[in-house]
Amino acid sequence: MKKTNNKSFQNFLCASAFLILLSSCSSMNVTEERVYDGGIKTVEASVVEVQDLDYETKAIFANATVFFEFDSYNLTSKSIQTLKSVVSVMNSNIDIEITLAGHADERGTREYNLALGQRRAESVKDYFLLNGIMSSRVTVKSYGEERPLSLGNDEASYSKNRRVEIN
Amino acid sequence: MKKILIIFLVPQLIFAELVLEITQGSDDPFVIALLDFDGQDEITNQINTIVNNDLNRTGEFKIIKKDKLLSSPKSEEEINFNDFKLLNIDYIVIGSLESENEFNLSASYQIFSVLSKKKIRTSKVLGIPNKIKQLAHYISDGIYEEITGLQGVASTKILYVSELKENNESLYQLIVADADGVNEQILLKSFEPIISPAWSPDSKEVAYVSFETGIAKVYIQNIANGDRRVAIQNSKQISSPAWSPNGNFLSLTMYQDGNAEIYILNLKNNNLTRLTNHYSIDTESSWSPDGSSIMFTSGRSGSPQLYEINLRKFNSKPQRITFEGNYNAKGSYLKNGDGIIFVHRSSDDFKIALKYFNENFIRPLTESKLDESPSISPNGNVIIYAVTENGENLLSGLTLSGARFRLPAKKGEVREPAWSGFLR
Repeated sequence: MKKTNNKSFQNFLCASAFLILLSSCSSMNVTEERVYDGGIKTVEASVVEVQDLDYETKAIFANATVFFEFDSYNLTSKSIQTLKSVVSVMNSNIDIEITLAGHADERGTREYNLALGQRRAESVKDYFLLNGIMSSRVTVKSYGEERPLSLGNDEASYSKNRRVEIN
Repeated sequence: MKKILIIFLVPQLIFAELVLEITQGSDDPFVIALLDFDGQDEITNQINTIVNNDLNRTGEFKIIKKDKLLSSPKSEEEINFNDFKLLNIDYIVIGSLESENEFNLSASYQIFSVLSKKKIRTSKVLGIPNKIKQLAHYISDGIYEEITGLQGVASTKILYVSELKENNESLYQLIVADADGVNEQILLKSFEPIISPAWSPDSKEVAYVSFETGIAKVYIQNIANGDRRVAIQNSKQISSPAWSPNGNFLSLTMYQDGNAEIYILNLKNNNLTRLTNHYSIDTESSWSPDGSSIMFTSGRSGSPQLYEINLRKFNSKPQRITFEGNYNAKGSYLKNGDGIIFVHRSSDDFKIALKYFNENFIRPLTESKLDESPSISPNGNVIIYAVTENGENLLSGLTLSGARFRLPAKKGEVREPAWSGFLR
């Protein structure tokens, strides 16, 4: 169990602040070290608030949310019904641009869910492009599992959270 | 429209203070007599408590308290080894405060082997009065190292994300704390989510994903001076940062064509190299300890599985490394490179699991339902991860020797833990 006291530590936070002195103390070495605790600075993020759509546009898209199965980004037939009506609104309001925000439920890892939310939003975008909407009118992003609609821990809540919100 | 976060309006409940609870110890611990440090009570009481808790948490020790001992020596001369041998004690630790003035505080300690009836270590830690906790962690690590032969992690730090929900708004904070959850300091506050924090190998910088601009972006921040920058300046969604072991590269996930692909950013010249190219999701990259391979999660088989790419072979194809179950994600390598830990779904539960490369089965390590984000201590012996209990996130840990502990927050939720390198 006995080992040498002269250790070489490979990962110093600040090697220069360190002092390991070895001095002799009768029959054995004394290790001496100095406590180092680096400073820390707090940063506040300036949150960029997404510009709200005007009242009229908002009213048109009020309930445009489509839902997905677990670990899936396939559009269901119910989703396609919803998207059809969005396409017709976009065709008759040629100035409208939309953002598709993909979301996932809390099960599974956060980064995989971020990617899954993105795939869901991309599926919706693909549908719009196939139906003649210009790509420049559609912005896609994902929040993964970070913005749940429902906070419960059961399938009823999870199914509400696996969604793409169209704004 | 930009809204600058006004810090003064944030109520002072901002610390998601963690409370350490040890729930289970190891099966075959070293038995030690940890005698109270000699000196001014006010300080020695703190040191005694911290050292006791630090050693307890490692799971490697059974600490015999003063009232169970046959004698309580304060110096080498006062030790009667037979008193300790009768109680099957392996080691004796005695210590004292050496200097107590305004500017200096130092402690020395000695470790004795009962078996050999000899002193095996004399150490002195020099500190300052307002850093008593750090001083105590150094003592814990010295004792741990001497007895187990492994470098201690009591003096290391953990990074995590806390979320405090107030009315309809959440305050997200990136926090760094001592490994026992105490001494929290805030690195970043935001009203938008923060995920995936990662330490640079020298523990001077952190990378993380912040949604503050409305989409996920990777930032790199210097801990000491708060300087921060966006890792890649473009309009794409970018996430999942991981440092190469030499600190020269950052692997990350970029949604270049709308799909998650892994890239390697050269931090010296900002060159970006694409690593994966597949229509399914590729994300959660991590580097092998020798920097020769990158492991990542991919949906290319139809469900999330772990794959590995050898960076040293030209044109190397990803090799699948998990086959058990339909969800294996967020892998990290053991420090010795012998295996991986990852999130594994078994029936409906997500658990932390371990797979050694020389075994063809996986070992589930945790019991609850929604475990995620495992991170390994720099000595490779402890895993910290996030669990969900009653709908709230908190941190839990386990050692490879079988000890378990929890780090629940007094307020709010805590998740996404990441363990620093050695700081001592």
